[in-house]
Amino acid sequence: MLLSRPNILRSLGRTVAPCRSLHNTAWLWCFRSAVSLDKIYPESDLDLTKPQQIPKTKGHNFSGYVPMDKVQVTYSRSSGPGGQNVNKINTKVDLRFHLASAEWLSPELKEKLATKHKTSITSDGFLVIRSDKTRSQQLNLAEAMDKLRHLIYTAAFVPPPPAVEDIERARRRLPSL
Amino acid sequence: MASQGTEKALALLRRLPRVSLGNLKPNPGAVKSARRGRGIYGGKTHGAGSKGSGQRQNFMRLGFETGNTPFYLRFPYQNYYKGHHMRLSYAPLCMGKLQRMIDTSRLRTDVPVDITQLSATQLFSINPMEKMGGIMLKDEGIDHFQATLNLEVQWATEAVIASVERNGGTITVAYYDPISLQAALNPMAFFKRGVAIPRRMLPPQNLIDYYSDPKNRGYLADPTEVARERFVLAQKYGYELPDIRSSPNQEMLLERKDPRQIFYGLQPGWVVNLEDKVILKPTDPELLEHYAS
Repeated sequence: MLLSRPNILRSLGRTVAPCRSLHNTAWLWCFRSAVSLDKIYPESDLDLTKPQQIPKTKGHNFSGYVPMDKVQVTYSRSSGPGGQNVNKINTKVDLRFHLASAEWLSPELKEKLATKHKTSITSDGFLVIRSDKTRSQQLNLAEAMDKLRHLIYTAAFVPPPPAVEDIERARRRLPSL
Repeated sequence: MASQGTEKALALLRRLPRVSLGNLKPNPGAVKSARRGRGIYGGKTHGAGSKGSGQRQNFMRLGFETGNTPFYLRFPYQNYYKGHHMRLSYAPLCMGKLQRMIDTSRLRTDVPVDITQLSATQLFSINPMEKMGGIMLKDEGIDHFQATLNLEVQWATEAVIASVERNGGTITVAYYDPISLQAALNPMAFFKRGVAIPRRMLPPQNLIDYYSDPKNRGYLADPTEVARERFVLAQKYGYELPDIRSSPNQEMLLERKDPRQIFYGLQPGWVVNLEDKVILKPTDPELLEHYAS
């Protein structure tokens, strides 16, 4: 049996996440068994902090990405029953952004949103979404984000052109004026 | 000089061959024959005793209680108990309580927080022998959670993962088999046993999918896919994902155990001697191969 001092052990045994972008010496100090992540995923970078490519919105194709720094979120107290908790805790979420100056949406989408969802737009031109569905601020924010995406997707939806058979059927049914 | 008896015993040990399966036999009378008695001393009652149902055409099935409803039929099947013996339960920990533990300095945030650190707070009673898998994080109090942690628990929901990551921390769900869990819950008691640190076993079939899924931040999932899921979750819950690379605690936040490791900084196969404050490591190649497998 090999005797070892704890201070040497600390530097040797310290397991850092198997990130291949780290320098070689840190990688050498890791304990790696036969089922370590680099053996299960040999082709992967194993990088938890890998920066992700932001998907782009073009024309009517909304990518789903909403930049949180371009959107204003405010919290307030919710309505309804709940006693002291609902009176004191800010769980209601108000999500708004100025529609005309939003660069993350394409002009076509902005036009469609302005026409289809004009009831959600204030006189100043801000698209407002509110949510106080749950008891948690974070879950309400998630709900507001979901509502926002739903608004954009329904506005972006372009119905497919009618099929040839449908046009023919309509022509036969309704005599031209 | 040892006594004559001791000397004789030692002489025996010296000249007799090594004990193996090939030169062992039970003591006379230890093993009873399963054959029905026949002939001279197995005769007369032939192993059936005297009178009673035992000698006279005894056809009662196993469990029969001479008419009343037997024990094995008294209790009905319930579907909610189906497979209960294979299911694990987890000690709940809500995020509000976790924040309180940090605020009252009951839990350290400068080191990775795993089951060992949480068990050291002595606020949980987890018994691996009662089919408990460890600790699970619950949704309650996610709005109050503000700490930046490297968390490792056994179960976590999506809202919990979002609340940890929005504060700049990382969360992993990891499986501990009962023996590893017992060691992890009380490392000092484990080290005092003087036993080599075992390898942590992989999850059973019904749990392997859960722990391999990047959406759950499983410890067996690909970190690159987990990075993508972190981004997706940040978009879903409406926060900007903090950059771990520019954080001062980057190394601590990215510290991960190998799937076979139980303790940070200690490998399977090592024996920790608390008395002499040394760690004994195996040198035999077979042992090294086994513990690294």
